Amino acid sequence: MRLLVRRLTPNNSPAAIATTMLAAILAAMAIASLLFLDFGANPLSAYYALFHEPFGTLRGFGYAVVKATPLTLIALGTIVACRSGFTYLGFEGCFTLGAAASAWLALATAPGQWAASLSPLLFFPAAVLISFTVGALWSGLTGILRARFGGNEVLISLMSNYVAILIVKYLVAGPMRAPGSLPETDQLPHATWLAFIIPGTRGHAGVLIALAAAFLVWMLLRKLPLGFELIVSGLNPAAARYAGIDVARRTLLAAALSGGLGALAGLTEILGVQHRLMDGISGGVGFTGVIVALLAEMNPIAVLPTALIYGGMTVGADAMQRRAGIPSSITFILQSLIVLFVLASSMLRYYRFNFAALRSKKEAMQA
Amino acid sequence: MSVFSQAFLVTWLTAGIRLGGPVLLAALGETFAERSGILNLGIEGILLLGALASYLTSIHTGSLWLPLFAAMLTGFAAALFLAWMYVTVRASQVVVGLVFNVLALGIAATVYRRTLAHASPGPIAMFQAVHIPWVSDLPIVGPTLFSQTLPLYLTLVLVVVAHFALFHTRFGLGLRAAGENPRAADAAGISVPRMRYLGTLISGAAAGLAGGYLVLAQIGLFRDSIVAGQGFIALGIVIFGRWSPWKAALAAMVFGTCDALQLSLQLLGTHLPEELLLSIPYVVTILAISGIFGGRDVRPAALAVPYAKEA
Repeated sequence: MRLLVRRLTPNNSPAAIATTMLAAILAAMAIASLLFLDFGANPLSAYYALFHEPFGTLRGFGYAVVKATPLTLIALGTIVACRSGFTYLGFEGCFTLGAAASAWLALATAPGQWAASLSPLLFFPAAVLISFTVGALWSGLTGILRARFGGNEVLISLMSNYVAILIVKYLVAGPMRAPGSLPETDQLPHATWLAFIIPGTRGHAGVLIALAAAFLVWMLLRKLPLGFELIVSGLNPAAARYAGIDVARRTLLAAALSGGLGALAGLTEILGVQHRLMDGISGGVGFTGVIVALLAEMNPIAVLPTALIYGGMTVGADAMQRRAGIPSSITFILQSLIVLFVLASSMLRYYRFNFAALRSKKEAMQA
Repeated sequence: MSVFSQAFLVTWLTAGIRLGGPVLLAALGETFAERSGILNLGIEGILLLGALASYLTSIHTGSLWLPLFAAMLTGFAAALFLAWMYVTVRASQVVVGLVFNVLALGIAATVYRRTLAHASPGPIAMFQAVHIPWVSDLPIVGPTLFSQTLPLYLTLVLVVVAHFALFHTRFGLGLRAAGENPRAADAAGISVPRMRYLGTLISGAAAGLAGGYLVLAQIGLFRDSIVAGQGFIALGIVIFGRWSPWKAALAAMVFGTCDALQLSLQLLGTHLPEELLLSIPYVVTILAISGIFGGRDVRPAALAVPYAKEA
């Protein structure tokens, strides 16, 4: 008799899913603990540092919110695209272009420029509109290639990232470059900065954009007929077509929405954090956001806490590096191991403990 | 030096072929994975791990070939994990690949800080250009094609080997069947999981080797930024090369020469923005895979679709 018995179908009860996920997270944390030990740190205090800074101090919490804001927007973009059957991975590009578009408008409001008379009250809606549009058009190109010509959106969107990043690299090295040794723009006028809304921290108003977007995406997918059509197009294009849904048009719409959300992430970063445009501004957030969406099980509300925890871990890791000299890159390892182990943990649900075997063994030993 | 001089042409093409080498090697391996139905986005991370492994081995042994072997072994080990995730767990290949790249970046950065950040090792032994007798004296092709490093020659040999293995062996037929129609392949007695494991392992070994190639024949040092998207370029080459080793070699040439053109034109002091030139390969790839130009869809039909034998 064996202690572990293979099942024919995985156990899909909530308890089984929760148990295996917990086991996966603990396993990932155990492996990261070994790394902490290797760097001469007590794992318990390392984990304490990792979570105390972002969630136990106001300043750190502000930073966590700042980090979570673009992650949330990109994760929301991923959700809209994915649930409509459009695997979009071009968020690095959308983020960069959205950042560039809002920087361009912000710089145009400097004294002497053509938009100098634009009141701050009008500036923010205009910036949101323009960067959303730029992102939507950009991802819409991939959407057209997929919907009209049957191109593979995964690889096209991956490639489009490089083109977008090169476009912005060109802009900061040429037309938008400020005098000086570095390829970057001037600092944006103070009036165009997103207000710091969490007192005593760098937490800026971009988080409101992220919260509003989460609500709107939730509305769209759960409450509106259009969202239902998007989801049906994603689940079964043939059935959707049969029901009279224009699948190509829905795909295009999903692509545009997700790219627009990705561009808004760039807007919050440029108007809330960097305050000037430079090369390499995205730093991989376009991919991390996709992972956040996945961990949140493609649920627009669950994205909020997930992005906060993910962003918080980044903040905690920086603090850990400053104080204990533990490289913050360990957090990359911890985060990605958690995702991989959670994915792999579905395998565990194919097994069950054979308690009967355990009992009979005990009885046999007693006899 | 003018744009049309032979010296310019030679410098340009030599650099182009040189730059295309590592990505071609990675693309050759990826061709096997994709032909078996696995979209292995993790090669970006494997390139990085291979580069790290070869660099560490090189500074500890001073050998030339041992680091290359270590890189391949590292790629193989990483691919074993990836194959398990792709084939046995049947997780989303896109997600696993992307997350693995983050993991690899974390590992590379951590190991680098742990072992090298405080000590600064001297220059490592690198592959030098080998001039092949007779043919390297030919005009233009001599210096461009026959005065390269050993890993490049090895890669060119592997193009032939890969073509033969894919299209003229039982193994290649089984591999392609697993990627085109796994159900039919299964019915014909071919083990689809086995083929997909093999495809992923080949792509991992090749990507690891390519990482070692990058360090040992081109860069000569390690930073966690040296790969910077070359794995994704290799993916583009596979598609642009329509899943064929020969065409992948041509596609890698296009990438390499566009990359080199930008360097050469900068030397000449032209005013074309380098970003425009740099973006050509990506734009060309996007157009090539967009489906705009019609053409037969040669993508393996079951690419990135997990296969579960029905119980």
